[in-house]
Amino acid sequence: MSEHSSSTARFAKMMVVAKDEWRYWLRSKLAISVLAIGLILTLSSVVVTAINTMELSHTRHALQEDAEQTFADQPDRHPHRMVHYGHYAFRAPSPLSVLDPGVDAYTGNSIFLEGHRQNSAMFADQKQGTALTQLGSLTPAFILQTLAPLLLILIGYSSVSRERESQTLTYLLSQGTSGFTLIAGKGLALMSVIGLILVPVAISALFSLHEGESITAIVGFVLGYALYLTVWALLVLLCSSALSKNSESFTALALTWILLCVVMPRVASSTAITTVPAAGKLETDFAVAAEMRKLGDGHNANDPAFAQIKASLLEKYNVDSIDQLPVNYRGVIAMTSEAKLTQVLNEFAEKRMQTELAQTDVSRDFGWLSPMVAIRSLSMLTAGTSIETHHKFLREAEELRFDFVQGLNKAHVEQLSYQVDMNRNKDTDSGQKARVNAQNWQVLDDFSFAVDTPSLRLQRGAPAFLQLLAWIAALIIVIRLVGKRLV
Amino acid sequence: MIEIVQATAVIEANSLCVNIKNNSILKSLNFRVEAGEIYALLGGNGAGKSTTLKTLLGFNAPSSGSVKVDGKEVINALNHVREKTAYLPESATLYTHLTARENVKYFLSLADIQKSDDEIDQAFDRVALQRNARDRHMQTYSKGMRQKTAIALALLREAPIFLLDEPTSGLDPVAIDEFNQLVRELASGGATILMVTHDVYGACQVADRIGLLRDGELVGEFSAPQNGQIETEQVHAAFAQRGAA
Repeated sequence: MSEHSSSTARFAKMMVVAKDEWRYWLRSKLAISVLAIGLILTLSSVVVTAINTMELSHTRHALQEDAEQTFADQPDRHPHRMVHYGHYAFRAPSPLSVLDPGVDAYTGNSIFLEGHRQNSAMFADQKQGTALTQLGSLTPAFILQTLAPLLLILIGYSSVSRERESQTLTYLLSQGTSGFTLIAGKGLALMSVIGLILVPVAISALFSLHEGESITAIVGFVLGYALYLTVWALLVLLCSSALSKNSESFTALALTWILLCVVMPRVASSTAITTVPAAGKLETDFAVAAEMRKLGDGHNANDPAFAQIKASLLEKYNVDSIDQLPVNYRGVIAMTSEAKLTQVLNEFAEKRMQTELAQTDVSRDFGWLSPMVAIRSLSMLTAGTSIETHHKFLREAEELRFDFVQGLNKAHVEQLSYQVDMNRNKDTDSGQKARVNAQNWQVLDDFSFAVDTPSLRLQRGAPAFLQLLAWIAALIIVIRLVGKRLV
Repeated sequence: MIEIVQATAVIEANSLCVNIKNNSILKSLNFRVEAGEIYALLGGNGAGKSTTLKTLLGFNAPSSGSVKVDGKEVINALNHVREKTAYLPESATLYTHLTARENVKYFLSLADIQKSDDEIDQAFDRVALQRNARDRHMQTYSKGMRQKTAIALALLREAPIFLLDEPTSGLDPVAIDEFNQLVRELASGGATILMVTHDVYGACQVADRIGLLRDGELVGEFSAPQNGQIETEQVHAAFAQRGAA
């Protein structure tokens, strides 16, 4: 028999075994109930999360437009009042967040932007809910990462061990079927279950094409989950083939699930926090305040910290006093101060973000030890709901903040005379004069947050892909060895 | 001039030793079964009968010596050996979620054999499996009915070599007679049959030769006379004298 026809015959036998496995499941109430529950859970989570995310997306877009309109509609005012009036930046959810909201549920999705401050993102879903919802939502990602492996365990733990326990294994093998062909056939059946689980997820992912998601990211996302569930199918087959009793196989798989899905992700987080310590909020706030004090108070033009700026301006314009300057000295101080202060704030923010990334990297390395950690990273990265995306939002929001604040400071410098500005609190009339035209409020750029490009997201996810592939390769090697000794 | 032809050994064990978990189960076992012959390995519990069959199927590797089926070393030609062999286990363990017909079809498809429903029915007729039971789930089957299904499967395999482990276990006396008749028909059709059993009477009724297995060694052989049966008393005496195992 040629090699080709031999492999065709082997594959045909695998299909026979796989079909029989399905027949067994369909005739077993437990297996069919587990399958039905799994499918219903996946479908319902896809629908519910999709509706929630679409509503969120719509709301955030509307709120963003509303915030921009409200800012632009403000009457003539003193420009610095507008600096403190502030503005909101909303992060629209990424299209694939319908399947994996990732860190979005825990980090805020909007930021109040104002002068001299970098506020934290707020309105995280998990902080808005009751204590119970903080345990985590029933998202498709949760179903696929945590419950789908259990589903595979429940229907597959006895796939080979029951043949051994009921003494059909020797009989099966004596028909000329190799141990590996038998295990592979059982594996094919489990893979078809994985296919069933992934169908609603893949369809839902394809819908995100309409929301602007790329097909590359969608394929990467679905492929990642296919690899992850394949790892579990192989683990199920390995335990079922290597252990002689159904009860032993089930116990081993239950312990493996607890270890890989419950314990290891927490060990990863704890290790990350321990190996890469991050400064606490209070500690950081004090450090930022100390640095800011060195810069001087931008509201007080006479602060000694600005003496050098004053001297250089007087020299530049060849005048004796700040009253004679062709620009508003208070505006210049506000502008300069904002630039310096932003530099300090950005340094602290970058340092914090780098620490968070370093912690995330340590945590992601645990993907070599737990496929759950690998898929969690890969899923968030390809969906555009990872910490990197959140950082991108923070940076873009900060850019928007700085630009609009400096735009208003520019109006302060150029369109309001120093004298009028200094007399603004003298009486009502003076206050009215110390205003600039509302046309100046058109300093806001349209803020529309977009996740990173699909290629960058997949590039970041490459190590997690490798981790899952390594798991699969290692498990196949071990299963081949077990298959040879299968009796 | 008369030409003496050396009969071909289809099954052959030469100084076969098998150790399982450091226990010596088969100790320098020697026997050969020729084409068209019915050979019964007779022995008590723990004598090494089932181990011998499993070694012939390649489930146990010899620790020394050799075992050949169809002229090939078993361990080097597993696929060939299993393709040529129909194995009937002691307790026919078939799938209870399937009917007898589905069981037979499933096992046949794993052996790359396609049979029509009519052919399967003919095999069921030969083993006298009731018609109304053939499409019933096997969880309702008696041990004898399961055994008949397994025998039908062995027949449908059309293999030239049959390895039968306590084949009449669970069968009623009528079914045993029918089975013995069937075995003789197969042998006369050229099939080589090795059965292991502890049933002295059954072995004497059907076997051309009997090998007495004791503690992993062949301690005696009995051959049937031309057109006759091996004497039960003789074998029984040897079996009792030498001990069950």
